[in-house]
Formats: sequence, C-alpha cells, structure tokens
Amino acid sequence: MTQNLLRVENVKKAYRRYNLLGKEISKFSALNGLNLNVEKGQIYGFLGPNGAGKTTTIKCIIGILEADSGNIVIDGKNIKGNGLYFKNKIGFLPEQVGLYGRLTALESLQFYGRFYDLNDDLIKKRGKKLLAKLGLDKDSNRRVGEFSLGMKKRLALCIALLNKPEILVLDEPTSGLDPRGVKALRIVLKDLNEKGLTIILSSHVLTEVQEICSHVGIIDNGKLIREESIDAIRREIEKKSIKLILKVKELPKQISEEISKNNKVKSINQKNDGKHEEITIELKEEHIPWITDFLVSKGIQIFSIEPKKNSLEEIFLKETGGN
Amino acid sequence: MKIKDKYLQNSKDSWNNNKTWHPLIVSLVLVISLAIVHKAYWISTTETNPAEVWANKQITKDGNNWTINFEEDVGDSITFKGILRTAPKFEVYKNDTFVPGKYSEGEALIYSEDLYGKTMLNVSGIRILVNDDLSKKFFVSEIITIKATLISNISTFDNNGEKVTLVREGWVAETNDISLSSSKDNYFFIAELLIFFAGLYFSLKRVTNLKEQARLVWHLAKFELNQGIKSPRMIVLGVIFTLFIIGMGWLLGDLQNGDPESAFFVQNANGALQQLCFFVFFVVSLAAIGVSVDSFHKERQANTLNILLAKPVNRETIVIGKAVGLSLVVGIPAFVAQILGLIFMINAGDLPSTSGIIAFIICGQIMIFTLVSFQLCFAIAARSGTDVVMYGLGMWLLFAVVWNLLIYAISFALGIDVTADDFENDPEFQTIASHMGMLNPGYVYQFAVGLLTHRTLAIDLEGIPGWLILLALVLWPITCLRTAAKLFKREVKG
Repeated sequence: MTQNLLRVENVKKAYRRYNLLGKEISKFSALNGLNLNVEKGQIYGFLGPNGAGKTTTIKCIIGILEADSGNIVIDGKNIKGNGLYFKNKIGFLPEQVGLYGRLTALESLQFYGRFYDLNDDLIKKRGKKLLAKLGLDKDSNRRVGEFSLGMKKRLALCIALLNKPEILVLDEPTSGLDPRGVKALRIVLKDLNEKGLTIILSSHVLTEVQEICSHVGIIDNGKLIREESIDAIRREIEKKSIKLILKVKELPKQISEEISKNNKVKSINQKNDGKHEEITIELKEEHIPWITDFLVSKGIQIFSIEPKKNSLEEIFLKETGGN
Repeated sequence: MKIKDKYLQNSKDSWNNNKTWHPLIVSLVLVISLAIVHKAYWISTTETNPAEVWANKQITKDGNNWTINFEEDVGDSITFKGILRTAPKFEVYKNDTFVPGKYSEGEALIYSEDLYGKTMLNVSGIRILVNDDLSKKFFVSEIITIKATLISNISTFDNNGEKVTLVREGWVAETNDISLSSSKDNYFFIAELLIFFAGLYFSLKRVTNLKEQARLVWHLAKFELNQGIKSPRMIVLGVIFTLFIIGMGWLLGDLQNGDPESAFFVQNANGALQQLCFFVFFVVSLAAIGVSVDSFHKERQANTLNILLAKPVNRETIVIGKAVGLSLVVGIPAFVAQILGLIFMINAGDLPSTSGIIAFIICGQIMIFTLVSFQLCFAIAARSGTDVVMYGLGMWLLFAVVWNLLIYAISFALGIDVTADDFENDPEFQTIASHMGMLNPGYVYQFAVGLLTHRTLAIDLEGIPGWLILLALVLWPITCLRTAAKLFKREVKG
C-alpha cells in the first residue's frame, strides 16, 4: 500500500508590491488553489509552462515562501508553524545554484552540514561519500569558484543529500547541464529513488520527465490540470493515433482517395519535396502493416517509413492549451 | 466602527502571535509604571523646577533701597533636585575672581571677602551659596538634591558713587545638605533592570530551540567573519581607518596642550575622547556600508541565499548571525584602531578616565553593531547593489556630515537666531541639538562615552538625562536589528 508523503491542498499564493505607506499597489496570483499528491517512493515530475507556478510551489514546499492560504502537509503534519522540523526532512536543489566561491567543496559541505544536528566527523564522512558518488572526490579540496556549472550542481546535490532527507526537491535540475551531465544526474536520481528517496522535480524538459519520473503533475496558471502516473500516460499515448511519414516515388490521386476513404485512416496529407512524394498518414499503430501492404500491392515504391509517435509533449501542449 | 473593529482584531492577532514575548512586554509595562512612580516620588519629595523658584524672585529698586524677595518665607527649607549647570570648580569665590563691593545681577548678591572659599552653585537655574569649596566634590552635569534654606541679610554697596542698601534674601546650604540624586535613583534603576531582565529571561525561555538557534547564529557569524576579514576591500578600509583614527587621536591629544583661546582647543582628555568617538563613527560607518553590500543583496544575486533558506534555520537567526559576523569584520580592525588612537592621544595629551576608555571601546563596538544592522536593512530591502550603496552613503552623509546643518535648520525653524554670535551656547539651541542627537547613532555614541566618563549615571547632558542616553544606546541596535529581521521575514510573504 502506498503512503501519502506530501499533500498540497488548495494552496494560494500571490506576489504583492506595496508603496512606501504599505498600501498594496500590485498583486500577481502565482498559485490559485493548487492541489498535489506525492506518495512515498515516487519520482514526481512537476510540469508546467514558464510562469505556471512551479518554482513558487517548490518554494512553498521547502519553506522559502509562505502560502497565503491552503495547507502543505508532509507525513500527515501541516508544515505551517513547523517549518524548521520539516526542513530537516527535505533536501533542495535550486535551479540557479549559488555556492560560496571561496570555500572548497568539503568546506561547503561542512558549512551547510552544521545547520543539521550533525557533528564534524559525520559531516566529513558523509560528505566524502557523497562527493565520491557524484564524481567530485578528486575535487573535494578545490575552491568552488573554480567549478563548472555541472560540478556546482553536483556539489549542491551533495549538500541537499547531506542530512539524508526523506524528500528531495529539485527545481529544473538539468538546466544548464550538458548531455553527459544530464545523463549522470538521471542515473544518480534513479539510484537514490531505488534506495527509497522520494523525489519531486520541476521541469519543462518533457523528455527528461518522461524518462525519469514515475508520476507527473501538470500545472498551468497556478492550478493542477492533470496528475497521473507515467504508465497511465504511456498507455494513453499508445491508444492514440500516430503519424506515419512515408516517402514514395509517386502517389496517384485515386490511390490517395482510396486511402483517405478507409476508416482505418484518420487523415492523409501529401506534399512533394522535388525528389519524392512525402505522405503523412494519421492512423493507429496496429494499422501500419496494413497501409504498407496496401501501398506495395498497388505498386507504389516506398523509399522510407518513419512512424512519429505521440509523446508527453503533445499531452502537455494539449493540457496547457499550447500548439 | 469598522476601522475600530479591524484595529482591535489586528491588535488581538498581533498579541496572540507574539506569545513568546509576552513576559518581556509585561516587564516593560512594569518598568514604565515603576519609572512613573520614580518620577512621582521625586516630584512629591523635592522641588524639581528650581528655575521657577529663582525666576519668581522680586527685585525692587526704590532709590537707594533695594530689596530681593522670594515667594517663600525666610527660614523655609526646600529640597531641590536639579542639574549642576556649571562646573563647581569654576564657581568657587577666590580673591582673583571678583572685586569686593560690586553687585552681581546674575547671582543677586554683593561680592564681599566673606565669600572667599564658598561656592555659588547653579542648580538648574537657581543660585545656591554653599559654605564650602565644592571644586573636587561635585562636577558639572551631575544631578543632585540639595536642601537649601532661605536667609535674609542687609548689606550696602557703592553704586556709581551712591551708597545703596540691599535687603537681600538668598538660598544657602551646607555640604552635608547636598547629595547625588543617584544615591536614591539607583534603587529604582536596579529594580527596573531586574524586572526587565526577568521579562527578557522568561521570553527567551519561550523561544523554540533557543540554544540551537544561538549555535547557528555563532556558526553564521564565524563564517561571515572568515569571509569578510580576508576580503581585500576590508583590508584596505581597515588600514585607512586605522591611520585616520591614529591621526585624529594624536591631534586631539596635542590640542589639549594648545592655546585655550583657540577655536580648536580641547579642554581635557575626556573631552578629547568624546571627539575621538565622532571620528571613529565617521570612518566606521563607511566600513559598515562596505560589508553590508556584500551581505544579503550580493547573496541574493549569487543565489546563495536559496540554499541557506532551505536549511533548518530561522530567518531571524540568519539576520542576527550576519549582523554579528559583519560587526566583527568591522569591529576587530576598529578595536585595533581605537586602541592605537587612544595610545597616540594619551601620549600627546592627558589620560582620560578609565570608565571613559572602557566606554569608548565597548560603546564603539555597540555603535558598529548598530551601523551594520542599520545598513543590513538597506541591503535586504534595496532592489539593486547601487541602491544599497546610495542609501548607505546617503545615511552616512546625513549622520556624519550634514547633521549639524540639519540641527541649524531645525533650530532656525523653531525661532533660534543661528546667525548670532555664540548661538551654540544658547541653552535652547543646545537642548534641540542634544535631543536631535538621540536620533543619530554617532551622537548617541559620543553622549554615552561622555556620560560614562562621570562617576554616576545620574547625569544630564544638555537636557538629555543619562538614562535616556543608555536607553538610546540599547534601543538603536535592537531597533535596527529588529527592522532588518522584519524586512527579511517579510520576504516569506512574497
């Protein structure tokens, strides 16, 4: 049985600006009654277009911001009034990693480690282990100011993991990383999750979410639009039609009309790129053999077949009203 | 009605949200109540407006028969409470201070050889003749109680060739009739302090994880100190302000030996020490701007704050930790500069009082903490680094450079002729200047050192009582720190 670890209930949050007399002069509602449910052991991908409220939600969860109304419940307890207690349970990796450049990696870990009830020896022991795990063991005595962005992100992840948190919150973790860094991070996160760590990550890189996450929540305008397991989304994708792009030498008009009249085909478009005829046919995946057989039987010479599957991106765009 | 209800509700919410500080608030109410009792005690047992008694005297000049009469009856004794407006050592009658047989309008008596060795005290405006030399027994600005008796005598004097008979009433006292008011004030002060500290103790006991947060304050402070003290900017600033304070110390020491008629003459070592306070304030406030720019604003830009805020530490703890750390960054080199400045001042001039030296150093560190906390408010609230520097420099200009101009402007607006010769000795001007000084941490520092060079805290410096100076010295850093913490905490609301 799964256990509900984090619940965000009808959270509202607005950013306000005041004049010198303290009178409100502008207000921007970032969260408008947001609800989320994260269960223990999940890797929860938190999706949304820019300005949807992802970072605000994360800041509310980790206690940097206070929600105007609603509840954020961790392990059955409201974080309101218990902020310090819950900060011991959460590790946080911000999108823009800022570390003190004059400290070495190990000194950084010691500095942040002392905010927890950890003694110096334990911080050193855990710190060295984490640095080794994230490939920074050789750089432990180098100044952070000399680190690349990827190295800083890895060090910030070490800092976030130092107190052995129950929940790891990552805000756009792969932003600014090169493909190798993204891959390495993905491996580390999956490994941590397998060891029981619940991970919440916000991102707008959909392939990343699709590959790492077990569950997805899509928000827009500060509201949850959809919350689903990644398996359920995959099933939905599979049920949907795909687009098949075929390059043929020539497609006579009557054959094209014959295809379009068949109820297995949703739509057909064709265009000539000067060399070939490019046909895009929308149909279910199971009907691909039928269409290829049909074309071959009509003597059409096929140069290439490229199935273009639906992805999370299409679902995301559909849910958030994008094109 | 609606506004009243809203106000009442807000007050109720505010009271309920600050349960931790209830004991302190209760203790402050008790302290204020006791202070009122304290004041009532003095009003009921003494005459606290001696100037009024003096002003109500009648001087009648009927031909060659003059009389000076007070409203009180001859033989009446009154216990006055007031401030020694002039130094008793300058008020002792000696054979070279007056010409016998001359009438003095200000003192309302005829000078005679009988007065030799006696002291004419100026107690908050009333003149009381004491049958003793008080030059080393009481000092200027001390608040005293004096039991004076109204006596009458007849004397004659030569007024431009005419013999005038003066029937004069005047106030006299013996040395035993005078005491420092602090001898009774101390009981009240001790009771008030005990109540205040009890409230503070019980409030601190209510703070969640106080010990843990105190540990984190020190952790943050040490970090700031390590980062700040090694910064090239601080090293350069430290060297410059040390050299400046040494130079000023030497100059102030040397000026004690100068020409007493010179405008730059420094009367004594304690006066020089007070002036050195200003120069310490002058340079240290610049250093406070320098270190505060690097704090919250730069951290926000470098995104280091987000990771810190995700750690189990209160926002107040972060502000206090940074304020303590940055104060040490400025305070340690300032301490060295203070000591060197003192050494040079003492070498060139006289030795100030020990309590003054201690006050100069300790109050200096409090002033540095105040300035750093003050600048932190800008660092937290400002939107850009330029804003932090501009606001900081603006306040430095106001407090350290143009404050006197502001005093002149306000005095002028209040009807004081600031173009008159010697207007700076006008008591009204001095009262305005000293009251405005309470709004300037640099002046509070000077006043505090001036106060603590005396043997008692029952002092009145140009209309500002000693307790108010001490209160200002404590309230300035607390208010700045509280404002900085409040501004930083407000960010949680977005």
